[in-house]
Amino acid sequence: MLVSDNLIELFHVWHQYQRPNWALSDISLRIKKGDFVFLTGPSGSGKTTLLKIIFREIIPTEGQIVIEGVNILRIPDHGIYRLRRMIGIVFQDFRLLFHRPVYENVALPLQVLGVPYKEIRRRVFNALRMVNLQHKLGDPPSHLSYGEQQRVAIARAIVNAPKILLADEPTGNLDTELAFEIINLFKEINKQGTTVIIGTHDKELIRHFGSKILFLQAGKLLGKDALPLSGN
Amino acid sequence: MRNLFSVTIICLSFLILGVFWSLSNNLQHVAARLGQNLVVTLFLNKDLPGKDIGLVRDKAGRSPIVESLRIVTAEEAMERFQASFPDLKDVLDNLKVNPFPASIEAFLQAEKARPEAVAAFIQSMIETPGVEDVEYNRDWVEKVRSLGRLARAVGLFLGGILILASFFIISNVIKLNVLSRKNEIEILRLVGGTNAFIRIPFLLEGTVLGILGSLVSLLLLLALIKIFPVYLGSSLGALQELLNFRYLSFSQGLGLVAAGAAIGWMGSLTSVSKFLKA
Repeated sequence: MLVSDNLIELFHVWHQYQRPNWALSDISLRIKKGDFVFLTGPSGSGKTTLLKIIFREIIPTEGQIVIEGVNILRIPDHGIYRLRRMIGIVFQDFRLLFHRPVYENVALPLQVLGVPYKEIRRRVFNALRMVNLQHKLGDPPSHLSYGEQQRVAIARAIVNAPKILLADEPTGNLDTELAFEIINLFKEINKQGTTVIIGTHDKELIRHFGSKILFLQAGKLLGKDALPLSGN
Repeated sequence: MRNLFSVTIICLSFLILGVFWSLSNNLQHVAARLGQNLVVTLFLNKDLPGKDIGLVRDKAGRSPIVESLRIVTAEEAMERFQASFPDLKDVLDNLKVNPFPASIEAFLQAEKARPEAVAAFIQSMIETPGVEDVEYNRDWVEKVRSLGRLARAVGLFLGGILILASFFIISNVIKLNVLSRKNEIEILRLVGGTNAFIRIPFLLEGTVLGILGSLVSLLLLLALIKIFPVYLGSSLGALQELLNFRYLSFSQGLGLVAAGAAIGWMGSLTSVSKFLKA
């Protein structure tokens, strides 16, 4: 088997929600283990679609996606949990359980893994401390502000120390100071080996933290110079 | 509320099945009891002298299929009748004479009493002077038995239809529960929950509904069995023995509960599976 440090590879991915517009056209890219990538572009350029394709919430109209050497489009529905367990996701709409306390929301990815109760408590508390929400442990998300809900979503995505962290506009509702804090937190997680992909249109963030940038426009990938496709 | 509805439906379906099943149980029981002592009753001519009664008895006693004989005098026959039908005592009192004939009951040996042998025996006894009529209780045994089979068939048919209906109802109730937790299922899948992990709570819910429904139906059946005879009183007389309920045996009850559990399980399985794609 070919030894490769490519973690995520997309080959000629096209996606269409409805004719005749292509949400994504002919996207090919490689993301290496340990990369810290900003996925940027104007609203409607396909950032969210691209992220959803990586964790297979959306199956693209055409193309192939290989993650850790596995073609994720060939995974049967009942096996998809293996992919999801190595990806932490911060959704644009958070997708929290609004009637369950913050603690339970963050604990979910660990509960599905069957992690022992004490370990769950320790890790949930750590994750909440990282997003500075340890004092809201017992509150349901419906009692929290928008920004706080976003941080709960971030805590849930990192609690599992995933191989890949996908974040769709994770700072969209945060003030600049908190946004920087969150990106620093992602950097910290990235240093521990997690590959991070952040979808954002916040130019200031990118300027400040700028590393590898994927620029999408009208479903097409531009600025490949920022992220060499060859992998070297 | 939805859950209450489905428990009620399951309960009623199983109750109907149970009622017929217990009726059938009783009929089988009566048939078995009748079948244990096969009796050919030889009704004697009225006022047959004791000497002739002895002759008939001796003739019957020589048959190889007869195990024992008992002479029932007219007075005994009347006492038996009065014991079985106490309501009719007045009628008898008004008669002044005893209308019952004396009889000889020939108890047959069950293993030798093949139908041809019994028929031959009955034929020879009918031809015996002094014997007015012969009655054989196996005909009754057969009738009661087939009545029992009929009751069970009716119960299975009606109960089966209702159980099928309750399967769909459970399935739909669980589907509503699943729909109201669609969001949660989606999130669980996104954070890496296996299908089994997501499915199990719903399966347990369906199973518990099924078990609850069938348990309540067993309780209702028990209550019905306790109340029904009181309600009927003795108005049915001897028929009451046939129309009585016999409570389900432990294994039958267990079977009903297991069926309830299985229906709940399958009902939820079909409805959750739809939400576990991609």
